[in-house]
Amino acid sequence: MADRPDLELIGVTKRFGAFTAVRDVSLAVEHGQFVCLLGPSGCGKTTTLRMIAGLEEVDAGEIRIAGVRVNERPPWQRDIAMMFQDFALFPHMTVARQVAFGLEMLRRPAAEIRRRVAETLGAFDIAAFADRKPDTLSGGQKQRVALARALITEPRILLLDEPIGSLDFSLREAVMLELRDVQRRLGISFVWVTHDQNEAFSLGDRVVVMTHARIEQVGTPEDIAERPRTRFVATFVQGTNVFDGTVERAEGDHVRVRTATGSFVVPARDGRPPDPGEAVSFSVRAALVTAQPGAEHVNQVGAVCHAVEYLGAIRRYDFRLVDGRSLKLEEFTGRGRRIAEGEAITLGWRVEDGVLHAPAEAPA
Amino acid sequence: MIPWRVRQRLVAATLGTVVGLFLLYQWLPLLIMAVLSFTGPEGGTTFPMRGVSLHWYGELFRVQMIDDFKPPMARSVALALACSITTATLSVAAAQAMRARFRGSGVYFYLILLGVMAPGLLVGFGVALLARMFGLGLAWYSSTFAVHIVWTLPFGFLTMLAVFNRFDRRLEEAALTLRATRWTTFWRITFPLVLPGVIGAGLFGFTLSYDEFARSLFATGPEQTLPLVIYAQFDRQLQPTLYAIGTMTTIVSLGAVTVFALLFRLVKRRNRI
Amino acid sequence: MSPLRERAAVSYVLAAPGGLWMLVALVAPTLFIAWVSFWASRTFALSNALTLANYVKFFTRPAYVRVLGDTVEQAIVMMLITGVIGYAIAYFLVVHVRRPAFQLALFLLLVVPFWTSALIRTIAWIPFLGVNGVINQALLLLGIVDRPVEAFLFTRTGITLAQTSFYTLLATGPVVYTLRNIPRSLPEAAQCLHATPLRVFWRIVFPLTLPGVVIGQILVFLNVMADFATAQAIGGHKLAFLGNLVILLYESGQLTFAAVVGVLLMIAMLLGVAVLLKVVDIRRLGAP
Repeated sequence: MADRPDLELIGVTKRFGAFTAVRDVSLAVEHGQFVCLLGPSGCGKTTTLRMIAGLEEVDAGEIRIAGVRVNERPPWQRDIAMMFQDFALFPHMTVARQVAFGLEMLRRPAAEIRRRVAETLGAFDIAAFADRKPDTLSGGQKQRVALARALITEPRILLLDEPIGSLDFSLREAVMLELRDVQRRLGISFVWVTHDQNEAFSLGDRVVVMTHARIEQVGTPEDIAERPRTRFVATFVQGTNVFDGTVERAEGDHVRVRTATGSFVVPARDGRPPDPGEAVSFSVRAALVTAQPGAEHVNQVGAVCHAVEYLGAIRRYDFRLVDGRSLKLEEFTGRGRRIAEGEAITLGWRVEDGVLHAPAEAPA
Repeated sequence: MIPWRVRQRLVAATLGTVVGLFLLYQWLPLLIMAVLSFTGPEGGTTFPMRGVSLHWYGELFRVQMIDDFKPPMARSVALALACSITTATLSVAAAQAMRARFRGSGVYFYLILLGVMAPGLLVGFGVALLARMFGLGLAWYSSTFAVHIVWTLPFGFLTMLAVFNRFDRRLEEAALTLRATRWTTFWRITFPLVLPGVIGAGLFGFTLSYDEFARSLFATGPEQTLPLVIYAQFDRQLQPTLYAIGTMTTIVSLGAVTVFALLFRLVKRRNRI
Repeated sequence: MSPLRERAAVSYVLAAPGGLWMLVALVAPTLFIAWVSFWASRTFALSNALTLANYVKFFTRPAYVRVLGDTVEQAIVMMLITGVIGYAIAYFLVVHVRRPAFQLALFLLLVVPFWTSALIRTIAWIPFLGVNGVINQALLLLGIVDRPVEAFLFTRTGITLAQTSFYTLLATGPVVYTLRNIPRSLPEAAQCLHATPLRVFWRIVFPLTLPGVVIGQILVFLNVMADFATAQAIGGHKLAFLGNLVILLYESGQLTFAAVVGVLLMIAMLLGVAVLLKVVDIRRLGAP
């Protein structure tokens, strides 16, 4: 059974009354993978996580852990652990009791519990406040206690619901890296829910973008950022320009799209070529737009510089097109001159830098 | 159905049954009292009813009965209104004082709360002893009023403390920076915002005083309040008139609760706009 | 410094009326009862000599000591009954009733009888309990008994039945409050740590509601200890608690002895509250 994925969701659906929170979601998490569920609030990512944990009942579809259907199993009989956004530390228990809790519930012998609690407290560097109650701990300390408490039972999968969302901004980077290290070292699967794409992109082996109860795209961070499958993914990923238009004509493996600001050529998607007149959208990464277009930059458009942001390594420009829409451009600060606000200029990008989106699915 | 979910539903159903039975237990006596108050002129204080009539309500309004019950009723209402206003005023003042955390405010807090903890009968007893010592007379408008406030003030005080706890201090600070005096700030900003709480404190004052008899028992002179008159009936042969009184006073106090609740909602809605 | 001091002065002025009222109408009378209880003479004078004889008299009369015992016993019985039923009601209200409209309706149904006059509710229990009362008639009708049971009116059972109806919600209220304050994620986290529902309850939920349970128990204890009307109306003159004894002695003019009983009642209440607070340090557990 070792080759079965740690976690499989097959056509999983959850309804709350008339509202469908998760619709027909399918996903497999291989052993030891770090998967991030990314999406805006209310997209169904937390509900998905709670169904995996067993905290919500599945209305349709199947959830398998290590190849075994668990739909009917209560949370306490699933080989998972969960970290909550507020850490959910038990306010009446000391850190040591807290960490011992899972093993006590599994009715492990007292001697084993004592030994493993001591080991775990050491491993997560929380032995110093073993006898303190959670209300005396800082955010970062609470986070480590929650992690130690979740991992001491050696679960197959750790589910994390916005686990660093309640931490101070300055702490997040370090905690992210620490969690990533723990995951690599223990080799267990992480399913991490977040609405922050930086978290998802820097941590996830795979990122699952969700919106309106569905999965929009599953892929590596690079896939998601560079080849957004749908218009939603493109708008959700920062630093991406989205154009709406209609198909003028399909030219072999290229499609010409007419927009309010001009006509552009983008590579066609696999499968059926779009019909002329069909409404489509495509996107171009801000980093791939250039202010010094050459011959290879087939797509060109006139724009006026509206605002410049200096972000250290890069400069981010906000241009306005003739119809007032914004077009973003990012370039390394070392390169080229700084374009002044109000300056009119021609921008361009290569055909292969455009990404044509899949047609939007009709909401069922 | 998943077995553990079934078990969960079973627990819920069991608890639900307990709650249902308890509700029945709470309401049945009141409803049966109300039903029995409509028994015929020959009817007794238990089932079976002898016909249906308004006889016992009529009894209440007979001249002799009116003489018995009307003055105590009037006193009780007057006393309850006085307690309502006094409780509201004193609790706003006391809670406002607590906001500044003056020296001794910890002791002060427990001093006020003592009014709930102290057995009512003994408070009245002590007041009666003191009055006797100093040769002072007891009366519903003096000694009874005094012990009723002891009982109602803590409830109003706690209500106002809770209200001020949730009160956004910055609103007052904003008014002060706009050159309002503390006095103006209180009446123009603070008071309108805490008004629902003040009404709540007043409600406590009214209903608690209107129903109170343990504190009144020793502290009231010859002119008795309504609960005392009713309490005196315990020792006599029970008659359906008592059920009629019970049904009527229940309706009156429910009416009072409703009026205050509506007032409360009205003020809250006005504040929101 | 000066605006601060000014505010403090205002605070004293604002706090004074309520505080003075409590001192005059509550603290002074209570202390006076204690003083009177030591008077050696039955004449009413501040110059009376003080003695412990009144207390000796109380504890040497088995009838009186039994009243004390009965009162405490009744309080303990009521705490057990209201504790269990009250907790069940609170748990159902908070955990199992999800729809807000249903929650509000249940709340009102519970609270409205609770808000009606204690005297009226006491009266309402009388037609229930008598030999010809509703309970007996129902039992006869259902064929459970063939003769009316006399065990309700004028008995402790009757008093307990009525007091259960009067005081259960005192035990419910604080538990509802503490239950509501438990974030949903805590029991869920326990479940994810392999705790079965029963263990989630005993290890997580119950300990966190303990302060509410204790406060509820204190309220029930204080009210049952001080209750005399229920015993008077339902127990008739056959049964008495300390409160009834105070009234009896007062009415027969034995003021110093009434004061003794009053003082003992207050001491019993204080001791009870102290013991309950020992069970759980409310201030410490109440902290978030």
